[in-house]
Amino acid sequence: MASSLQRLASHYRKAYRSAITPFSRAFSTEDALVEAKPGEVGLVSGIPEEHLRRKVLIYSPARTASQQGSGKVGKWKINFMSTQKWENPLMGWTSTGDPYAHVGDSAICFDSEEAAIAFAERHGWEYTVKKRQTPLLKVKSYADNFKWKGPPKEN
Amino acid sequence: MGLGQLASRALLRSSRLTTATRTSHFLRTIVSTPELHNSEAAAAQSQPEPDLPKRNPVGGARIHFPNPDDAIEVFVDGYPVKIPKGMTVLQACEIAGVDIPRFCYHSRLSIAGNCRMCLVEVEKSPKPVASCAMPALPGMKIKTDTPIAKKAREGVMEFLLMNHPLDCPICDQGGECDLQDQSMAFGSDRGRFTEMKRSVVDKNLGPLVKTVMTRCIQCTRCVRFATEVAGVQDLGMLGRGSGEEIGTYVERVMESELSGNVIDICPVGALTSKPFAFKARNWELKGTESIDVTDAVGSNIRIDSRGPEVMRVLPRLNEDINEEWISDKTRFFYDGLKRQRLNDPMIRGADGRFKTVSWRDALAVVAEVMHQAKPEEIVGVAGKLSDAESMMALKDFLNKMGGLENADVFLLVGTQPRVEAAMVNARIRKTVRATKATVGYIGPAADFNYDHQHLGTGPQTLIELAEGRHPFWSALSNAKNPVIIVGAGIFERKDKDAIFSTVEAIAKNANAVRPDWNGLNVLLLNAAQTAALDLGLVPESDGSIESAKFLYLMGADDVNVEKVPDDAFVVYQAVPTVGDARDDWKIIRALSEVAGAQLPYDTLSAIRSRIRTVAPNLLHTDEREPAAFSTSSLRPEIKEKMDMAPFETAVKNFYMTDSVTRASKIMAQCSALLLKK
Ligand code: SF4
Ligand code: FES
Repeated sequence: MASSLQRLASHYRKAYRSAITPFSRAFSTEDALVEAKPGEVGLVSGIPEEHLRRKVLIYSPARTASQQGSGKVGKWKINFMSTQKWENPLMGWTSTGDPYAHVGDSAICFDSEEAAIAFAERHGWEYTVKKRQTPLLKVKSYADNFKWKGPPKEN
Repeated sequence: MGLGQLASRALLRSSRLTTATRTSHFLRTIVSTPELHNSEAAAAQSQPEPDLPKRNPVGGARIHFPNPDDAIEVFVDGYPVKIPKGMTVLQACEIAGVDIPRFCYHSRLSIAGNCRMCLVEVEKSPKPVASCAMPALPGMKIKTDTPIAKKAREGVMEFLLMNHPLDCPICDQGGECDLQDQSMAFGSDRGRFTEMKRSVVDKNLGPLVKTVMTRCIQCTRCVRFATEVAGVQDLGMLGRGSGEEIGTYVERVMESELSGNVIDICPVGALTSKPFAFKARNWELKGTESIDVTDAVGSNIRIDSRGPEVMRVLPRLNEDINEEWISDKTRFFYDGLKRQRLNDPMIRGADGRFKTVSWRDALAVVAEVMHQAKPEEIVGVAGKLSDAESMMALKDFLNKMGGLENADVFLLVGTQPRVEAAMVNARIRKTVRATKATVGYIGPAADFNYDHQHLGTGPQTLIELAEGRHPFWSALSNAKNPVIIVGAGIFERKDKDAIFSTVEAIAKNANAVRPDWNGLNVLLLNAAQTAALDLGLVPESDGSIESAKFLYLMGADDVNVEKVPDDAFVVYQAVPTVGDARDDWKIIRALSEVAGAQLPYDTLSAIRSRIRTVAPNLLHTDEREPAAFSTSSLRPEIKEKMDMAPFETAVKNFYMTDSVTRASKIMAQCSALLLKK
């Protein structure tokens, strides 16, 4: 169902494009049509002024040291470094004054560093990128357990 | 314009990538029944083709080839990988992007091969092989998701669960348990066990590690960690058969500054954190990646918080600094953050009581007193945890932490790394164990958990070494990669320059500082000290405090209060916390404005750019930086004489070194129980 809709849409786009090409060719190339300057997406998206100039941190979450699983390792996230957080006196829930507080954590996730940077650039955020730390695999062997490690020491 | 175009190109590409790569994540996870999850992919894998989809090593791992000629090729599920000779089958699978389930194997411990969870099928082998212990041989065809491997895992899982209690709902490991995850992924959906489960008496391992020994699956990771990394022979395996237990034989607490790490490596809930017990579930927590500031190592940590409250601290991978361990102080000091904090500005009235005031009033009062004092009467003292920025931007002073592993001779001058920087100590220990490196130590008698030679207690020994008269000199001068570590205690002595120049002379004679090897390191005590040295603040003598009229203490808790003159006006600024407390830099900036000497920065980035001009390396968090602190060229001629007094211990109590750790209840318990000597 969804794919048939998509096909319809792309069909429509093609038709539309062929209709406008005679005009557009005169003053722009296809590439120029999709170009967005840094910060432009943020400007037209209706995001409130104060959130257009945020500082964000782009990082790749480390593997949990206490577990083997690595399914979530290698993703890139944007941290909005929001600190306005307080405990709601009525219910004891956590409140925040920052609409982005959970966006970085639970909503957006990128497959590569470049994708995250491009996203931040499009929204005009000032970003810092934290280097991803990866493990180093070294040769290990079971036989090392039985290697002769010098004469025994007394203590 | 150019940049914009680039960015939009990257965007286009990445948006195309996202759709393409989403499906491939299924391939990376461990699935015993891939045909159910991703049938076409499994079918494609079974026939080796030259254009197999590129697979990435698990966790983005890098591979260390000790000798590039010694690479061999093996096939994992038909996918060819090049691995260094001598690697195990499990590592080969990891390089091919297949994460083999395991319980006893841990990449940073020796191989035990006793849980059998890692069984895989190898072509031409009559039985499934334990991949963690089997060396990979050239041309080996490893199959990780065949019916045989699946059945083997299911069988092992059934045995493991036989004596494992079904108490996940009341277990702190629940939700982050390898046994739980892997029994979901590889276990059978029914059990055949109808007998009674065995039960094991819990052990008391001290104030940090909680034990529920019935849950133990005898993987011996904790035993291996204690003997190999922590260097305490406390834990062991007692009994045999179903009477087998992990324990300390006679009841005793685990006396190690790294004991908290057994909580992480235990794959089940047998060893969990005592202070964190029943406080929160791990899925409620939000992790913030950060840097540890309780010592100068700069361990990479993750701070888990629930709402505004810090619940626990976990290590984070960094091969160059802390691998995947952290010290107990780092892990458990967090409760000190919640107690005895200054949340509001307070002024002490004439009656001697502290009264809460507004920021406006407080700043006005301070500015007025400041104007009345003469400039030479104003003294500022920066404390151990002060300056949020330098703290955040902690740089690793020990520029050669990873390099420590290549050293063959260590000379420790007036430093006890075990208490000053437990992670550095763990590295030295690792090196001593692996390569039999020699360690020479100059300083007061101290506790080491590896072989060392106690050369002497004071500068006398240093001079003998510098002149080549000491017996240890032959070891040092013959060393290929000598490492000299100077403790922070030296910098508190009056004759620090003379001592340091002697150390430099030793380093020069031993050829410890060369273009390809920097073997001279300074081990400082805390993050701010590191940062302060970089920023050019020098520790001044305490004498200046005595003449002060106006004393500005920025998180400085170690100032001798008796020395402060009675008529002095003392401003104490503490580490910010929740509530009406402000960031350190904001307070100073506001004060500068009220006092009429406005500082030119009013945003964090402005401060950072100022720091960048003063000390650029401070802004690279969590990467290892070569130390900029130059040791030779800028130093003036040394005229002062060396004092022959022996070196002193810089850190008396490992668990309490600054205001936050001193406020921590857990740290107080630890020092009461573990430092009873
Ligand atoms: S206590 Fe945990 S780490 Fe130690 S042997 Fe048992 S299961 Fe393994
Ligand atoms: S992981 Fe191989 S036997 Fe335990």
